[in-house]
Amino acid sequence: MEEMNGQLNGHEPGEFRKRFKIVFAVVSIMLFLLIMRMWHLQVVRGDELRQRSENNSVRLRKIKPLRGLVLDTNRQVLVDNQPSFDIMFVPNRAKNINDVGYKLKNLLAARDLELSTDIPPLEKRRWFPPVKLEKNISMEKLAIVEAHASDLPGVTVEVVPTRKYVGGEMTAHIIGYTGEIGPEELKKDAYGSFSVGDIVGKDGLEKYLDQYLKGKSGAEQVEVNVLGKEVKVIGKIEPVSGYNVVLSVDSFLQKIAWDALKDKAGSVVVMDPRDGAILALVSSPSFDPNLFNGGISFEAWDNLSNNPSHPMGNRAISGQYPPGSTYKLIVAAAALEEGLITPDTSFNCNGAFELGNRAYKCWQKHGHGRVNLHRAIVESCDVYFYNVGKLVGVDKLAEYARGFGLGQLTGIDLPREKSGLIPTKEWKQSRFGEAWQMGETISISIGQGFDLVTPIQLVNAYSALANGGTIYKPRIVKRIEMADGRVLKAFEPEQKSRIPISKKNIDILSYAFWGVVNEKGGTGYMLKRKEEDVCGKTGTAQVVGLPDEDKARKRKILSAKFRDHALFVCFAPYKNPEIAIAVIAENAGHGGSAAAPVARKIIDAYFERKNSENKKSQPLVAVNQKSQAGVYR
Amino acid sequence: MKFDRRLFFNFDWTLLLLVLAISFIGLLNIYSTGYSLDNYRQETLYIKQAQWIIIGLILMGIVICIDYRFISQFAYVFYAISIILLLVVSLYGYTTHGSQRWIVIGGFFFQPSELVKLTIIIALAKYFDDHMIERSYKLRELFVPFFIVLIPVLLILKQPDLGTALMLLLIVLSIIFFIGIKWRSLFMAIACGGMLIPISWLLLKDYQKERIMTFLDPESDPLGSGYHIIQSIIAVGSGGIFGKGYLKGTQTQLKFLPVQQTDFVFSVFAEEWGFLGGAILMIMFVVLILWCLKIALHSRDLSGMLISFGVTMLIFWEVFINIGMVLGMLPVVGIPLPFLSYGGSSMVVLMIATGLLLNVSMRRFILHP
Repeated sequence: MEEMNGQLNGHEPGEFRKRFKIVFAVVSIMLFLLIMRMWHLQVVRGDELRQRSENNSVRLRKIKPLRGLVLDTNRQVLVDNQPSFDIMFVPNRAKNINDVGYKLKNLLAARDLELSTDIPPLEKRRWFPPVKLEKNISMEKLAIVEAHASDLPGVTVEVVPTRKYVGGEMTAHIIGYTGEIGPEELKKDAYGSFSVGDIVGKDGLEKYLDQYLKGKSGAEQVEVNVLGKEVKVIGKIEPVSGYNVVLSVDSFLQKIAWDALKDKAGSVVVMDPRDGAILALVSSPSFDPNLFNGGISFEAWDNLSNNPSHPMGNRAISGQYPPGSTYKLIVAAAALEEGLITPDTSFNCNGAFELGNRAYKCWQKHGHGRVNLHRAIVESCDVYFYNVGKLVGVDKLAEYARGFGLGQLTGIDLPREKSGLIPTKEWKQSRFGEAWQMGETISISIGQGFDLVTPIQLVNAYSALANGGTIYKPRIVKRIEMADGRVLKAFEPEQKSRIPISKKNIDILSYAFWGVVNEKGGTGYMLKRKEEDVCGKTGTAQVVGLPDEDKARKRKILSAKFRDHALFVCFAPYKNPEIAIAVIAENAGHGGSAAAPVARKIIDAYFERKNSENKKSQPLVAVNQKSQAGVYR
Repeated sequence: MKFDRRLFFNFDWTLLLLVLAISFIGLLNIYSTGYSLDNYRQETLYIKQAQWIIIGLILMGIVICIDYRFISQFAYVFYAISIILLLVVSLYGYTTHGSQRWIVIGGFFFQPSELVKLTIIIALAKYFDDHMIERSYKLRELFVPFFIVLIPVLLILKQPDLGTALMLLLIVLSIIFFIGIKWRSLFMAIACGGMLIPISWLLLKDYQKERIMTFLDPESDPLGSGYHIIQSIIAVGSGGIFGKGYLKGTQTQLKFLPVQQTDFVFSVFAEEWGFLGGAILMIMFVVLILWCLKIALHSRDLSGMLISFGVTMLIFWEVFINIGMVLGMLPVVGIPLPFLSYGGSSMVVLMIATGLLLNVSMRRFILHP
């Protein structure tokens, strides 16, 4: 007690009391100053500032960045940017949206034009987000709106960059499309890097490379008058354009492939077997990604998403088909490598293979007679492979199929790839709770039954055979470049694995596939070229596997939906292959007659261009300084 | 410790209720900032803030139970811990918006610079209590306190966090003024400080220079903090006398206001509740601060007096600078509004600080054992 009092008393308590008074006074005065200031702002200037808040006289506006360009391997532009002029209406600036809408409609009607959207009814809310009345208006409409700006309070024309998909339908499945970010995506966006109204990639490379393509938003502070017209720009932070992407895709081959396939449903994948680079990738039917610019209309979306032929799906990587006779590569490779057959092993084909009381037919109903491995591949004899498949067994077949990369994702740099299916005994047991039947082994020996592969897997498997045994990761993006052309990221060829086949057996099989195209009686004989030797394999995948329908199929009364899928896989030249192609034409009939001609066009075009040094590919749009910098600023 | 019934009878319910009432207003206000439709990200912020209030109250309870004289014995230990935490921040801290201020512990973001505000007060109180002299201090006698302050100020400037560094200086200057300094020394200190201004200008980051320039001329940077000031003034002013109504502030809901949950939280309140609401809140703060000063005045010993005076000054300066900034009277520096701004570190530290005030207050009649 004494000690404590001593402390305080020692320091003259009156001193503290005096200072407390000073602090009391100073604190009170300073806080009172704040209240005075509030009075000044809220009461004296209240009306003026309320007016300003209602006019939103100063607005911070986000400037959308230009997305990066997409270029093909020869630097031709596949995706560019273009300005879109949208009529916007900012409701709380004008007293009556209906009046303004009526005026706008009248003005347009005077020139025989009309507004594509209805004016939204005025809701009783304090504030509204701006309403987009019409996107991407014509120059004529733009002129009318600009000329009558003072009569149209609240109506503004906003210039926004949109995508210009130069390739349209042809490259739709590679490029994908963009759209406004959806609420679900926003919720997932943990880092807060997006906000409402941002444009993001929704599919294809636009989605896969969104983080590189999107760029960075800028901002602009604009002063607007009571009518909502901009008076001046007070400050601006420039947006940063996205990175440019260079693909391995060759527009020339892409166009040839698209033109050859576009009347059918199906897919074509062209690959460089030497490094897994995709030269062309086509899926048909397709869609026009330009429809999505600035938001797709409901009808157009309905048309696309509910279309029974699924134009939005990328069949090249997500279309799962029975491989048909193209699967004989796997069966032959397994049998040779396991030592179950030699190239000289032969079986007699009389048109059918009996197992139990069931006959499995050869496509050649009169039979091929006695054939060895080489001729069995050349003529695609089914009975030979029924015999071989039975020797190998389902699980060994699956092991080799996986060794060739079938039944698993290839890892291609595109979203939504599917894995296909390679059945095993165990799989069937767990999937259906039933034991594997020998008859099912017979079916999968010619690529029917449960077997499902995607076109990209097929071309990758044959590419591995062509390049001497290496499975590459298929890759469509070569590099990502900064605006000044410096390389941000380059994607090098990536060796995933080796096929489990000896060099000797690879040579035996390659020679057999050479025979398919180059020997009399070969199912791919129509691809025979004078200059380069093509190797290939036809396939015909039954959509309905019931033998009873064979007769019906012959009578061609089956509806198109149940007709066979035609497949063709090839690579060329025989020595040192540099191009590999997989073609699948849905419900088109036989591989040799329906799919091979598509491959033929691509092979011809590829070698014609290569052989004539003068002839250059037709550029879609030449890359020049202008398109590098974007069409406009 | 034997329970003394006087502790209960002398408990300062007014202070506790005042703090709870202001925190509750803050909670309502944060709910409003997260209310608008497109603002899905902040919609649960008020729940987090409520959690922080509860955590703060628990810690406050613990602080009340321990005699502040006992706490004071460990003043330098707390000070050392907070300096170590600041060092940890500068080495491993989490960086956002270009400044490294946070330590992440198990998903929680903690800001040691908030804690330093409190430990520096306790440390200075301890120092002046131990080195009591019977006249005003001379400059050279303030050498040790000078270093106690300098270390955290430099570490915080390095983050960089101009506002918090300024805050520490203001708290310390207040305490030194209060403890008594020779007028001559005071002038010399101010002169030295004045000479430091050009030097510190060179040390400031570009964005900090911009902010000060912006305060002098808001139109020079309309996109950055100038925009903040303009929009904040519009928000406050447009509230008028009666305000636009709860959840109906257009500036707020249209997201014209930046960082509206933290530094600009008062403009949200002023827009929606008008001059009437704003003035009532201001008066609550005035009462709170004067009440706290009264606690300091009536405390039983120098240690208690300095702790409660320091804490009071912490609350006062934060209120004054934050609201002054929101009303466009002071430059934009990142200082939260006590009990209203969203932020766990600030809330918890302020609750502990309130605990210290309650602690000093309820033991004012209890003598040393």
